[in-house]
Amino acid sequence: MKISSAIKVALLVVISAFYLFPLYWTLITSLKIPTDIFTSPPVFLPIKITLSNFFTPGSIIGAVSQTAVGSIPWMIDSSVVAGLATLASTFLIGAPSAYALTRLMKRGLWLGRLVLFMTLIPEAAMLVPFYLIVIGLHLLNTWWGLMLVYLSFTAPFATWLMMGFFNDVPKAVEESASIDGLSSYQIFYKISLRLVTPGLVAAIILSFISCWNELLYALVLTYSPFPGGAQTVPVFISGFIIIEKGFAWGGLAAAGIFTMLPTLVLGVLAQKYMARGLTLGAVKG
Amino acid sequence: MAQILPTTFYYFIGSLGLEFLVGLGVALLVYSYTGRLRGVVRTLILLPLAMSPVVVALMWMLMFDLNYGPINYFLGLLGVPAQNWLGNTSLSLPSLIITNAWEFSPFIFLVVYAGLQMIPVELHEAANVDGLGRFQTFRYVTLPSIRASIVVALTLDAIGVLKGFDLVYVLTNGGPGYSTSVLSFYIYEVGFSFLQAHYAAALSLLYLAIIIAFVAAVIKFTSLEDYLGLKKMVEK
Repeated sequence: MKISSAIKVALLVVISAFYLFPLYWTLITSLKIPTDIFTSPPVFLPIKITLSNFFTPGSIIGAVSQTAVGSIPWMIDSSVVAGLATLASTFLIGAPSAYALTRLMKRGLWLGRLVLFMTLIPEAAMLVPFYLIVIGLHLLNTWWGLMLVYLSFTAPFATWLMMGFFNDVPKAVEESASIDGLSSYQIFYKISLRLVTPGLVAAIILSFISCWNELLYALVLTYSPFPGGAQTVPVFISGFIIIEKGFAWGGLAAAGIFTMLPTLVLGVLAQKYMARGLTLGAVKG
Repeated sequence: MAQILPTTFYYFIGSLGLEFLVGLGVALLVYSYTGRLRGVVRTLILLPLAMSPVVVALMWMLMFDLNYGPINYFLGLLGVPAQNWLGNTSLSLPSLIITNAWEFSPFIFLVVYAGLQMIPVELHEAANVDGLGRFQTFRYVTLPSIRASIVVALTLDAIGVLKGFDLVYVLTNGGPGYSTSVLSFYIYEVGFSFLQAHYAAALSLLYLAIIIAFVAAVIKFTSLEDYLGLKKMVEK
């Protein structure tokens, strides 16, 4: 028995609504006037919309009133830390190590396993040691401290991903370059690295998103925003929620929408890389 | 502490199970639909994967609200009384699992759907010629073809669920009581709210042992490393 295509389409609409509705709800909450937010039955299609939730604290009850546009110092921190960690892990660590593991080493199985395993280690398991190390280095609440810790997951991830991309480069290309008299460093830098550009893009975008969204380390390793500190966006949002839970819903929803935009746009643009990156190369999309 | 491991276990089984069923079901449905909107639906389903978990938690906090949330409103239309989703010890963990499933079932979808697309058309044609029914085709043709995708999806999702901290921290903060305190959250709480770094470090070792045992078991009993292409990449 075949499900008729009408039922199939209906099911797909329901599924799309399920995945879209929370986003839609948050978006309209951020645009609603206060009387439309705190009302039952809920308003699903607000007639009056306003942008004021993005610029005003939205509540007079909370202790510290934040705003969506007020998150810009935190966004600067997130961008710098995520940018530094991403560039260092992709270009300084990931690409060279991956090239060495796939091309130069004879028996790299145990090292490959180690890289794979390191991508799977949970943040919480290394929280206490990293905290003590960062304090010891006097890097608490700095871009460098947070960035160094973020390398613990971006570097193995970038290495693993790039291993897959280097492996896809035909050996003949490098062999002919070698015959032409290029040294192995020149082959890496001038030939292979150019051929794995899609891999570099995938590693950069996915590492950037995961650093930008990281909460646990940032919560523990930073305590104030730019300038002077390194507190990132997820800490801003979670702190905002804890203070204003149940009060400034318009402001909270606005802050959520505002700070989500950078990674959401990146994610949609990089959809075709997302599959390969998130599945550690199991899916060649 | 006595409650932490069972809570983590239920959270793990509940999230993984729900994500797998939803992800697999949606993947099969989208795969069997060949209309024009396929690409749009696929993009919509993948949106949660690019979102910050903290903002996802914020969204679902609005959804679950006792008085003004849409979930209680829709349930009300069906005659179900309003539930205090996040404030009730017997509903807090299921609420967390639902949120987690919303965010990560697209991951299962992504992997399984990619696996489905790699099945050669001839395989289904042959099954058709041989007179296999719908169920038999699924059982003997489709399922074996996406075995690798399923193993990869389940393993990486399992690790993701065990890692999860953000949703718990924002949505329920481990509560009410200890009803949603999973191991990763509890380590943070012990170390940085109760300030017992030594105890948190000991818990971290336990946590790491669980992850290592899990990954080792998966590698031993499945061909995960081959699916990820490890040997191909490092042995020349």
